[in-house]
Amino acid sequence: MRIFGPNELKADVQDKGLCVGCGACVNLCPYFKNHQGKTVMLFPCTLEKGRCHAYCPKTEVDYTELSQARWKRPYDASPLGTHDGVVMARAGEGRVEGRVQAGGTVSALTAFALREGMIEEAVLTNREGLVPVPQMVGDETGIYGCATSKYTAAPTLSEVNRAAREGIRNVGVVATPCQATALALMRENPLDREDFVDPVSLVIGLFCTWALDTRKLIPFLESRVDVSRIQWMDIPPPPAEVFVLDLGNEEIQIPLDEIRALVPRGCLLCPDMTSEWADVSVGVLEGEPEWNTLIVRTEKGRALVDKAVEAGSIVVKEMPAANLEHLRTAALNKKKRAVARAREENLLNNTDEGERAAFRMDPSVVEELTGS
Amino acid sequence: MSHLLTDEPGSRILLMGNEAIARGALEAGVNVAAGYPGTPSSEIIETLSKVARDRGLYVEWSANEKVAMEVAAAASFAGLRSLCVMKQNGVNVGSDFLLHLGLTGTRGGMVLVPCDDPGALSSINEGESRQFARLLELPLLEPGDFQELKDMIVWAFQLSEEIRNLVFVRSVTRLSHASGNVVLGPLPGETRKARFKHRGFILDEMEGVVASMPMEYRHRRQQEKLKQAVERFESSPFNTYTGPEHPELVVITSSACHLYSREAIHLLGVEDRVGLLKLGTTFPLPPVFMEKHLGLTDRFLVVEEVIPFLEENVKILAQELAPRIGPKTIMGKRDGRLPTVGELNPDLVVEALASLVEVPYESAPEAYVKRGQELMFFGAPNRELTFCPGCPHRASFWSIHNALELDGRDGFVCGDIGCYTLAVLPTGFSTLKTLHAMGSGTGVASGFGKLGRFGMDQPVVSVCGDSTFFHAAMPALINAIHHGSDITMVVLDNSGTAMTGFQPHPGLDVDALGHKAPAISIEDVCRSLGAQVRVCDPFDLETTQATLLELLDRAGVKVLILRQICGLSPEKKRHKKYEVAVNPEVCLGEACGCNRLCTRIFRCPGLIWDKRAGKARVDEVICTGCGVCASICPEGAIEKVENREVTG
Amino acid sequence: MKEMKLSFDPYNLIIAGVGGQGNVLASRVVGNMLSRKGFTVTIGETFGGSQRGGSVMSHLRVSSESSFSPQIPKGRAHLVLGLEPAETIRVLAAYGNPDVLALCNLRPIHPVQVISGELDYPDLEDAKGWVKELSRKAWFLNATDTALEMGLPILGNIIMIGAMAALGELPLEREDFERAVSLTMPTDRISINLEAFDRGREMVEAA
Repeated sequence: MRIFGPNELKADVQDKGLCVGCGACVNLCPYFKNHQGKTVMLFPCTLEKGRCHAYCPKTEVDYTELSQARWKRPYDASPLGTHDGVVMARAGEGRVEGRVQAGGTVSALTAFALREGMIEEAVLTNREGLVPVPQMVGDETGIYGCATSKYTAAPTLSEVNRAAREGIRNVGVVATPCQATALALMRENPLDREDFVDPVSLVIGLFCTWALDTRKLIPFLESRVDVSRIQWMDIPPPPAEVFVLDLGNEEIQIPLDEIRALVPRGCLLCPDMTSEWADVSVGVLEGEPEWNTLIVRTEKGRALVDKAVEAGSIVVKEMPAANLEHLRTAALNKKKRAVARAREENLLNNTDEGERAAFRMDPSVVEELTGS
Repeated sequence: MSHLLTDEPGSRILLMGNEAIARGALEAGVNVAAGYPGTPSSEIIETLSKVARDRGLYVEWSANEKVAMEVAAAASFAGLRSLCVMKQNGVNVGSDFLLHLGLTGTRGGMVLVPCDDPGALSSINEGESRQFARLLELPLLEPGDFQELKDMIVWAFQLSEEIRNLVFVRSVTRLSHASGNVVLGPLPGETRKARFKHRGFILDEMEGVVASMPMEYRHRRQQEKLKQAVERFESSPFNTYTGPEHPELVVITSSACHLYSREAIHLLGVEDRVGLLKLGTTFPLPPVFMEKHLGLTDRFLVVEEVIPFLEENVKILAQELAPRIGPKTIMGKRDGRLPTVGELNPDLVVEALASLVEVPYESAPEAYVKRGQELMFFGAPNRELTFCPGCPHRASFWSIHNALELDGRDGFVCGDIGCYTLAVLPTGFSTLKTLHAMGSGTGVASGFGKLGRFGMDQPVVSVCGDSTFFHAAMPALINAIHHGSDITMVVLDNSGTAMTGFQPHPGLDVDALGHKAPAISIEDVCRSLGAQVRVCDPFDLETTQATLLELLDRAGVKVLILRQICGLSPEKKRHKKYEVAVNPEVCLGEACGCNRLCTRIFRCPGLIWDKRAGKARVDEVICTGCGVCASICPEGAIEKVENREVTG
Repeated sequence: MKEMKLSFDPYNLIIAGVGGQGNVLASRVVGNMLSRKGFTVTIGETFGGSQRGGSVMSHLRVSSESSFSPQIPKGRAHLVLGLEPAETIRVLAAYGNPDVLALCNLRPIHPVQVISGELDYPDLEDAKGWVKELSRKAWFLNATDTALEMGLPILGNIIMIGAMAALGELPLEREDFERAVSLTMPTDRISINLEAFDRGREMVEAA
């Protein structure tokens, strides 16, 4: 993987508007900071190679190389990525306190992992007003305080970097696909630093089609509702095509088409819907609002799910074939759109000096995805 | 006792130019002196304030130059002698009043001393106050050496009382800030009693109404007074000619250029070929005196700084006199022999003169000069200006810069005059994007803050100093509030007019005489005007940044006062608050994770980069112990320990 | 008043340093010492904005006859008193000549662009060589180090003045210095200043 420095990161990601504010470059150094969902570079840094660039999920990510490192197999663009099973899941009875999205599987799994000592801390995403803020929690109360979807791109990984600096280990992270990608990059110690320690021991990935730019979402909503009244937000599974705001005594629906204008450009280049680099991935399930889709990917993920089922923390069922097919189609479509767009914008597999790519895939995979 | 009070007429002492001016005022029996601080003029009022008690003077640092002129004029109207002092820009500030004052005339002698700064050695412009004499139709004197700095003030007071109008005595940096030997005159014994007479006949200049009406009458009177001044100029001791009876060329000069010209003639060894006409009364030029000396030869070189003011006036006169003295070749700036930008020095005058008299000149052997240039390149790295070690502005601009970057809407800062002007440079993280006159930062910001309707969505910040706040920023603030402009005004309050040497201003509880004075609270003023006001210690970087981010998000006029005493202030110099050191074990140096944030970006002169060790290091001679760098180090490698004892 | 002859008239001395180093004070002390001996002294200096970390020079013209331009012509310095090595080179390059003498304090003050890494500060041995190359004779002192030993870094300038007096180029006697400091300094500072003056004298004599 080609690794460059902060100047290239700024030129290729920030300046091109591809930054999704995942926080992978924040808290590594004094230069990159995130404020109200936007990552900025405070001062120029002259280094030719930096972790900021190496960890970024939008710069020269070589999927083939990353797949070899993580899965010991090439990246083949299979719709759901490497996995060991897909089931329906929801939190076990009596385990869910407060409001959760869909089946509450993420909160339940996180709480279980903490309780069982599989992780010591969990890095989650909370919100202050409409601004998503990363939060490290060590108990269940904290987890449920962070439950529910934010829909805005969040600098969650800045908290992982902070934890690493402060010597905190054995951290679980609930991550969107871009964040899970960054974590996968991070965990490879791309700069071969002697002092490198991987603080992360579990990644619970979230399904994501796109996130919203916080800086755009806030004025958008402010012009429509009193944002202080928003209690939660939801995008029900297709074919609803609406963004739902719950104001307590009233529910407001905004057509998704209006919302799509608030999606950062960087999301349009993302080929990953199901957090393919996580230990387990969780998303909604079409037609079953009380359930989640759960994809198990790693041995660690398998152990977590099996134990959680055994303990009654979550309940799982076999996934109907039609749902699985829908999921595969949606995930594959995201890959196809991202690759097509990257090629169109000249950000795919570039080799020339100075022309850097957003990501790289084997040409045969590209061919498969573009159908050419 | 101040050496300025030496009462030994005829004794000769070394005085700084500004001290010589102050001594001149004392010898003239000045009663009231007012000014606004500005390099290179500040030491005049400062010196007078120190002897005010002994000499029974009233001295003040006024809120701005226009007020200083008004205060000094009042003394004159009451029959006292008054002096008004400022740097070149100050004349612009007060010129509106001067236009009226010229018409009403003065009673007690009143002298205005503008100190110009050719080359902008300590300014951001090289504005010319000489033009004002012509514009306002008032007499102008220009001292040509240290003795004249003193003597001309005495003479100017006499002249002012003869013509009953204001007299300009213009100094420049190279005289005001230079020192030379001056022979003292006597100090007067008696003082005057103040009384404003206003019950006389309306047109009575000494006892009537002091007003510029009826205009035509007053304007005619003003021009008569100017003619009267010219008559006195004809016999002025400050206009001199030295040189041969039949010179090939005469250098016409004034002010500091007189000293450069004299030196240039000497360096070229052409004393027997070139004459030197030194003029002390440069506006209006005395025609009889000039006719005599323009008749000496046919070729003249006018040596003056910046614009060709003297040259043009000489040319006008020479044209008028041409029927009697014949056509003259008058060289100088309009033919490009001398630059119209920047200050002059003996070398520039030598260069212009050498070509005219055809005498070769080299400053040093060519090989030496060449080698010197080479070695300067390797051996003398450029010294870009920087905020002093321990300067609160560095911390303030750090937070302003970071807040604007984090805000991410391409915000910018409008600034004006003060040490904080340096924020256009890397020392202030290049945060300042517009830079104009005193108070202009807030005025320009007020305008930017109304451009939202044209699609401008950038946050607008203005900065001004505490002294500048009272000087000229208040009307701009009022304008912004009244018109609902969206701006964040940051008052960089370092508790004094720091740039010019800690002169008091209306925000402090002491006046120029050292007396207790009611301090006007900047926050109370802003609050009462309707601004949202916050106060922070700029050394608390975290709170300052958070406060700024909060204010940037709000509409309307917000004022953030960043209060921390200047690092050069006597109280700060006495006590080094922290001992600061870099722990080399922890310092990351150039590694990813820091890459020298402190030395590469923060750049306090007290922290240096030890290239060999690859670590930052504190220079214990330079560091003033403010401790701010400890809070910017991402690794906590900069350690500070509070100093309990008071050193020095 | 003693009858004194100057080796040149005017004698052109430049005190060179960095803003905040105490250049102005040093030039005042020397100027006052010479003026009180009956010489006509002209001092030209720059302060204000240029004080903030910039290069600062004081030009002293000493004459038994008349005042001179407050700016010394290029190439016409007789003695350069450098409070800082790079500034000594800068001033020699502009105002020096093959006969100029140089007295240089070896403590560097790094310009911000050196601190930031944009520019390089010369190696001290190179700097010494270049000062020697640009002067007829040069003396180098660790005046700041000695002043630090004495507990007050600002005394470095007084050490340099003491050293300059010891060169015998200008008629600067210890009693002139004593009189100058007793008029300008608080009483409790006089003895340490005299000690610094003497230390400078000794350092040059030992060199």
